[in-house]
Amino acid sequence: MDNIVQNNKLKSTAGRDQPLILTPLQDMRGFLFHHLGRLLLFLITCSSMLLVLLIFFFVIREAIPFLTKFSLAEFLATQSWYPEAQPPKFGALSLIVGSLYVTISALVFAVPTGILAAIFLSDIVSLKVRDFIKPVIEILAAIPSVAYGFFAMLVLAPWMQTKWGFTTGANVLNASIILSIMVLPTIISVAEDSISAVGRELREASYALGATRFETIFKVAIPAAHSGIIAAIVLGMMRAIGETMVVWMASGNANQIPSPWWDLSQSVRTMTATIAGDMGETPKGSPHYWSLFAIGVVLLIMTFLLNIISEYFLASAKKKAGGY
Amino acid sequence: MRHIIRQISDKAFTILTGTSVVLLTFVLLIVLGPMVWRGVKAVIFKDTVEFRKMQLDLYNRGNSANLKLENAETETFRKTVYKIVDDFKHGIDTEALVDKSKQIYRQLGKELRYKGITNEEYQRIRSLARELRDRLQVALESNDKKVIKENIDYILQYHLDENLADTSAVEFFALAEDFQQSVENIDLNKRQQYAGSLQQIEEIVFHLLGPKPGDPLPALTMDRYGATRWDLAQKLLDKLLWSEKWIQQEVDQPLVKIRASRAEEFAGTKLEPLFGYIENNLVKMLKPELTVYWQYFIDDSTPGHYFGGVGPEILGTLLLTLLAMLFVSPLGVISAAYLVECASDNIAVRIIRMSINTLAGVPSIVFGLFGLAFFVLFFIPLFGGPSKPCILAASLTLAVLTLPVMIKASEEAIRSVPQSYKEASLGLGASGFRTFIRVTFPVALPGILTGVILSLSRVAGETAPILFTGAVALGPLPKSPFDPTMTLSYGSYDIAVGDRLAMMVPHNQYGMVVTLVLLILCLNAIAIVLRARISRKLRGQ
Repeated sequence: MDNIVQNNKLKSTAGRDQPLILTPLQDMRGFLFHHLGRLLLFLITCSSMLLVLLIFFFVIREAIPFLTKFSLAEFLATQSWYPEAQPPKFGALSLIVGSLYVTISALVFAVPTGILAAIFLSDIVSLKVRDFIKPVIEILAAIPSVAYGFFAMLVLAPWMQTKWGFTTGANVLNASIILSIMVLPTIISVAEDSISAVGRELREASYALGATRFETIFKVAIPAAHSGIIAAIVLGMMRAIGETMVVWMASGNANQIPSPWWDLSQSVRTMTATIAGDMGETPKGSPHYWSLFAIGVVLLIMTFLLNIISEYFLASAKKKAGGY
Repeated sequence: MRHIIRQISDKAFTILTGTSVVLLTFVLLIVLGPMVWRGVKAVIFKDTVEFRKMQLDLYNRGNSANLKLENAETETFRKTVYKIVDDFKHGIDTEALVDKSKQIYRQLGKELRYKGITNEEYQRIRSLARELRDRLQVALESNDKKVIKENIDYILQYHLDENLADTSAVEFFALAEDFQQSVENIDLNKRQQYAGSLQQIEEIVFHLLGPKPGDPLPALTMDRYGATRWDLAQKLLDKLLWSEKWIQQEVDQPLVKIRASRAEEFAGTKLEPLFGYIENNLVKMLKPELTVYWQYFIDDSTPGHYFGGVGPEILGTLLLTLLAMLFVSPLGVISAAYLVECASDNIAVRIIRMSINTLAGVPSIVFGLFGLAFFVLFFIPLFGGPSKPCILAASLTLAVLTLPVMIKASEEAIRSVPQSYKEASLGLGASGFRTFIRVTFPVALPGILTGVILSLSRVAGETAPILFTGAVALGPLPKSPFDPTMTLSYGSYDIAVGDRLAMMVPHNQYGMVVTLVLLILCLNAIAIVLRARISRKLRGQ
């Protein structure tokens, strides 16, 4: 019995009587282990960078044969998209215009509503009510795009045709209404973050000068948060331009530029819908197949630029918020 | 004055912002309401005896003895329907009768040849039979009652002819008498119109009650059963009672839909009682009962999406999402751990953060292109796999898509672990690595789990990336990760757009999409509850 206690005591005190100095070998090992481990983690973290590079590389690789055989000017500046004709014609202008058209009209609906809702959440309503509204926005964001597309096609389109007297239910208005619903959560959450990030001191100073809430928000909070709001709009635009299922199902897929330009009841075709719709029917390695990848490159470049713009505005919003 | 304007504008602004939020809630209700309402009908509805027959045949479910009894009961009421239609058909469907008379004539010829009579007699009877046949045909095709009477009377005067007794010619007389009777009740000028209408009615009765007992079983499974649902039966009943016509009332005006009662159309004919009879006895013919068809979530659908449920789609969705999460979770957590714990704000880290944001912004359809070009055509064949769309390629594509979501969620979770925990661990002499494994990670785990669930819900709803990398609309169950699969998301698209069969069964269309939406909302609800719990815990400590 005593022996065991003695042993335990010895064990528990083992090492304590020695000075806390590592041998050079241990020191080296610890150093190597630490830095190699960090290197490994860094390499794993680099995988997202690698994936971005892979995406650019592989999408562009499949698009290069198209760019070498057909002229880029024709691709970007003409309207006739007849990929299966003899000879094939690849004019993607109306597709690009269709994408922008749907996106911008969606933003026309979404931006005012989104910013007003963001103001409501950040400045007007109490925390308790906020807790009830947040889930609504979260659910709106969670509903998958194909479900929105389904709604647009089987519920909204027949309503438009029978109740509002449109000639076709699948048109720009339908697609942009649904897109605006999908974009709203993004706009609201980013805009709300940036508006609430504006310091309390600024608002209190404004109130102290006798301004009403309306004046405080419009003359103080929003100017101070403007870069965050712009970032919200850009992020919303990014989401809308890359959206596939809704525009594929709801926009009517007619290859045309609407004329007159303000007529929202016409059908258009977007870049994303063209890729989604045509890819299933093209043999691999045909000009049509390459052309779809070329459209993918255009999309990729557009979203990449929008991303850089939004990063710039978000960074400047952060800097400002930190400054106060 | 100015003060008042300022006050009013302030109030108006408050109301305006409130309205936008009300609008949001309203939109949510409008989007979810009709879909869920119609989708629930795929599971909870009034079934009919036809549905129970179908369940027994296709899925071997239900009590066959009970069903037989029910069948016998419904048959007694259905018989009357078939009888009314058959009786009426005699006077209307003259083409069939003409064919029949020709058949009788041919039969008679065969009989005479083996009867052992002289050639002369044979010729005489045969020419007589030919005359009878021709007269009958004239009578059948005529619209003039006088002509019909003349010809039928002429035929019937040979009724007692010795030469014709005991031969097939007797059927001529039966046919002629039958026809004479049925002609008495109908307006012959309307016969053409009746014939068209009757065809529609027969088709509706076929869809309502299924194939006539005794008829050969139709080749298509969907044709083997009548209306399997009571709502469908009511729709068909409405079609049966009211015919719809598009009529141009004024020049250059769009066509107007007119509903006309079929009972009035057939007033005075033998068919008239049919409409009242079916309307009053439909319940007895179909025996509707309220059921909860929970097997909707496990049943395979057959054919197309006409009968059955969304079992394979749910299975496919789960396979894809779980596999994707398996790939992305370790990667996401390690990246987040590095970014929070080790990374300083140098150029490399800034580039990594930038690429994560870029990845988050890439359109989902471009992920589909990338999955096709990289995983399907390059990466999987590189390791000897087949170069075709498959589950593995689709889930890898989805993993890439959800990586930024995963990293951001994990980063947030790891960052929310209180600094004091880490400091306590470090103060006890634990290394940084050990601190992360033993202290930070367990505390951050619920938060990371929330991130995983949110990514899961995002992945489950994605359609565009799997269009070319692994989703099919219909097909066999996948046997290995190298097979394509059906999924809820692609199925929802297909059932709304491409599937003509599905147009006839809207409850299945809505059922599919509502299953998807509810699955995702459930995942989100779990995540929200989990998050609330974590924040409460961290606040409490």
